[in-house]
Amino acid sequence: MIKITNLEKFYRTEEVETIALNKLSMEVNTGEFVAIMGPSGCGKSTLLNILGMLDDPDAGSYVFNGVEIAHFNERKRADLRKHNIGFVFQSFNLIDELTVFENVELPLIYTGVSSADRVKRVEEVLDKMQIMHRRNHYPQQLSGGQQQRVAIARAVVNKPKLILADEPTGNLDSSNGNDVMELLTDLNEQGTTIIMVTHSEHDARYSHRIIRLLDGQTVMENIMV
Amino acid sequence: MLKNYLKITWRNLLKNKGFTAINIAGLAIGMASAALILFWVQNEVSYDQFHQDKDRLYQMYNRSVFDGKLWCWGTTPKIMRSALKQDYPQIEQVARTNKCNFLFTLGEKHLTLAGNYTDPDFLTMFSFPLIKGNPKTALNDMKNIILTEKTAKKLFGDEDVMGKTIKIDSVDYFTVTGIMKDLPNNTQFDFEYLMPWTYMEKVDKQVEKNWGNNSVQTWALLKPGITEAAINAQVKDITRKNSEIKDIDVFMHPATKWHLYSKFENGKIVGGRIETIRLFSIIAGLILLIACINFMNLSTARSEKRAKEVGIRKVVGALKGSLIAQFLGESIMIAFFAGILALIIVQLSLSGFNNLTDKHLIIPYDSPVFWLISLSFILFTGVLSGSYPALYLSSFVPVKVLKGTFKEPNAVFSPRKILVVLQFMCAIVFIISTIIIKEQLEYAQNRDTGYKKNNLVYTFMTGNIEKNYRLIRNELLTSGAAVAVSKTSAPMTEGWSDTWDYTWQGKQEGAKIDFNMYNTDGSFTKTMGLKVIEGRDIDAEKYPSDSLAVLLNEASVKIMGFKHPVGQIVVNNGTKLTVVGVVKDFILQSPYEPVRPMIIQGPKSWFAVIHYKLNEKNTTAKNLQLAEAVFKKFNSEYPFDYHFVDDEYALKFKDEQRTGTLATLFAGLTIFISCLGLFGLATYMAQNRIKEIGVRKVLGASVFGVSSMLSKDFLKLVGIAFLIATPLAWWGMYTWLQGYTYRVPISIWVFVTAAAVTVIISIITVSFQAIKAALANPVKSLRSE
Repeated sequence: MIKITNLEKFYRTEEVETIALNKLSMEVNTGEFVAIMGPSGCGKSTLLNILGMLDDPDAGSYVFNGVEIAHFNERKRADLRKHNIGFVFQSFNLIDELTVFENVELPLIYTGVSSADRVKRVEEVLDKMQIMHRRNHYPQQLSGGQQQRVAIARAVVNKPKLILADEPTGNLDSSNGNDVMELLTDLNEQGTTIIMVTHSEHDARYSHRIIRLLDGQTVMENIMV
Repeated sequence: MLKNYLKITWRNLLKNKGFTAINIAGLAIGMASAALILFWVQNEVSYDQFHQDKDRLYQMYNRSVFDGKLWCWGTTPKIMRSALKQDYPQIEQVARTNKCNFLFTLGEKHLTLAGNYTDPDFLTMFSFPLIKGNPKTALNDMKNIILTEKTAKKLFGDEDVMGKTIKIDSVDYFTVTGIMKDLPNNTQFDFEYLMPWTYMEKVDKQVEKNWGNNSVQTWALLKPGITEAAINAQVKDITRKNSEIKDIDVFMHPATKWHLYSKFENGKIVGGRIETIRLFSIIAGLILLIACINFMNLSTARSEKRAKEVGIRKVVGALKGSLIAQFLGESIMIAFFAGILALIIVQLSLSGFNNLTDKHLIIPYDSPVFWLISLSFILFTGVLSGSYPALYLSSFVPVKVLKGTFKEPNAVFSPRKILVVLQFMCAIVFIISTIIIKEQLEYAQNRDTGYKKNNLVYTFMTGNIEKNYRLIRNELLTSGAAVAVSKTSAPMTEGWSDTWDYTWQGKQEGAKIDFNMYNTDGSFTKTMGLKVIEGRDIDAEKYPSDSLAVLLNEASVKIMGFKHPVGQIVVNNGTKLTVVGVVKDFILQSPYEPVRPMIIQGPKSWFAVIHYKLNEKNTTAKNLQLAEAVFKKFNSEYPFDYHFVDDEYALKFKDEQRTGTLATLFAGLTIFISCLGLFGLATYMAQNRIKEIGVRKVLGASVFGVSSMLSKDFLKLVGIAFLIATPLAWWGMYTWLQGYTYRVPISIWVFVTAAAVTVIISIITVSFQAIKAALANPVKSLRSE
């Protein structure tokens, strides 16, 4: 599903140039659950942003579902992204002014799903995440675990082929964290490809494969049994 | 999608009630001010543009050289009409107008009303429709009269008045032959009734054929297809052809320019009302802009709060365009609420504004065009204020804002800072202008008039007053109402006539020196409280030869070059007049101009007014009561009408007072709106720097230190605004003051005062939030990490 080759990304400030990704190559197959690990500043998040088409690489190739997209413009990337990729963030990133229902509904609005269909699909996914009873609450009224469920619900409501999770349990206690990992595993078992950045060895163990990064390069790959 | 936007806008508005209030209030005040000014502008530019044949309507003008300068004026000889009618087939119709004032008597009802004499053509040339009566015939007979609806109601109430008879000035009876729809609020014409020109000729006892007396207005309607240039080439010589006068050109001034372009300099149109309209339009635009700037600043200052939303929307598929649409939608929605509030403000303040501007503006609620324009205005305001924030907010990169690393840059020249500077620049220009306008007003008001205005009253000589003058004067004095009485040719506050037809010994050959002419029958200096510098007052009772005596003012003595003025002979129109005294200069006309040379002639001349000095021993009410009894006794048909000279004198400052009030209003509004925005910005700044403040306090900063640190940033902006505003305001006010000969110098203190006022107001605005932030417990702010 994903094939990147010699991917490079630099960050420049006035004085220094930092290399975030240094000729990085990797492949992720459909249906895989991959964890990306490494110390702070190793390029994990940069990689995830590029995979999620939120950022573009400075050099190298990124083939998504057989299409080279490294040089896609903003509009094309947004279009590809909204139909194929769901995001889960460490800090949930829910819109405070919208209710649970409305937050989950948001991606469907941008992909042009009709109002009746939206209600059906949002209810379906809220039910699945077991937060149906909270549908009219605002994010601030929920616990961290519940907020992350809403965020996952929002990530999957469009039935994406790929879910990118950036430290999804980073802001949660271990019990809530485990729930979230179980949810992701379920999604993966139903066929969704998942790429997850994490600091937690515990969380990484839910994945099929761990890619370890250091200074923008792959240093090791562990295949989980 | 739209529903989603509206929902989030609505919730955002509710959630940040303080900012919503500041935004809506600021915009509403700005919109209301702009709307009021635009109403005014609309009224001004529509003056006399409703006449169906406005493109063919012209006013006759003269052009000639005086004192080496080319002058233009809009009064013409009465005889011009017949010449135009006879010799110019290009002209379809011609009408003259001249003001008249008559006492209308209807049974026990007496009313003095102001009207116009005019020719029958007037009714078909102009679009002043008659509700009743035939415009082709209504003024054909000498004793016909047309009343406006209002006048008819005043006189007759709700009766049908067509064909009714009214007594005019106790001498003639007129028949009502037409009722005219009330004049609209956008015409230069101002009359309560129309009378036939032929009646004026009867009152004047002659049909004047003199081409040298320019005293009436003449209007012409051209035949279709005749251009202004073509007709002007034809009429240029009309005076030369018909009279001995060889130095006057005649031209036509088109209706489309009557109101806006009526200022001539050296024979050419140089503007007029249009300058004020341009200035006011700019001010309207500025006030609206300042209000929009508030919105821009507050929206972008709050961007950190909105950044996450933008990031999420982009991640789930929103494009920049749809985000721009969303934010513009928000600002238009806010503008819509502000627009509703503005309409309420306009409605509430309209009568005050009408008073201030001497207008009769109304909100045309029943006009679809008005609503269409209002909606466009709201849309315009929304887009103007929302476009910059929309562009700014929608350009956030999700990678940055979602990671929480987003921090606004603190640049030296951020757009927000520039906008704040712009706001305060306008405010400071208005403040400086206000101070200088008020200073100039006070300067002129405090100028010594040269005579004593208090308790000085005048009454126009109507009906039998002139005939019974001696009796009236004696009874005014014996009744104790007045201590001195003088008959004059004009009120003390108005110069009604002037002439260069004076000669004296030592006058340069051919010099054209213009004098104000004024007449008195005696007791002039006593009644007016004038200072006699040399000689004595005119007193024909004591010195019978004084019927041909004159008084000079100092300016006359100077210009005539008399070393010993008393006893000199001055010749006017062949009559020898003897100078018996010199009076100190006094202000007859403009308090902004130097006193002009003036010659006050004795009893053998014409009179129009009685001045009398009220007795200070009685109350004013008592004096007036006594005076009324005297006038009623000798002039019973007319209501007692009197004018206080100090009231009339105060009217000379009306224009400047109005300008001053408007400037104060504009200054107040801009500073208020600007401070509203500043307050909002300070609030956000305090919130954004809460952690920094906490750290500083933990490290030992004092409350004063922290709050002055926070205020300093804003004061810097106000300082820059002041530096830019000062030369602008100086230049503007310098130009304005050039219009007055007698003017106040611009002192440095004006600028110091303006700076102090602005700084104090902005310190108060900002420090409230700064002190609040500085007082907060650092433990709380640091824990929030």
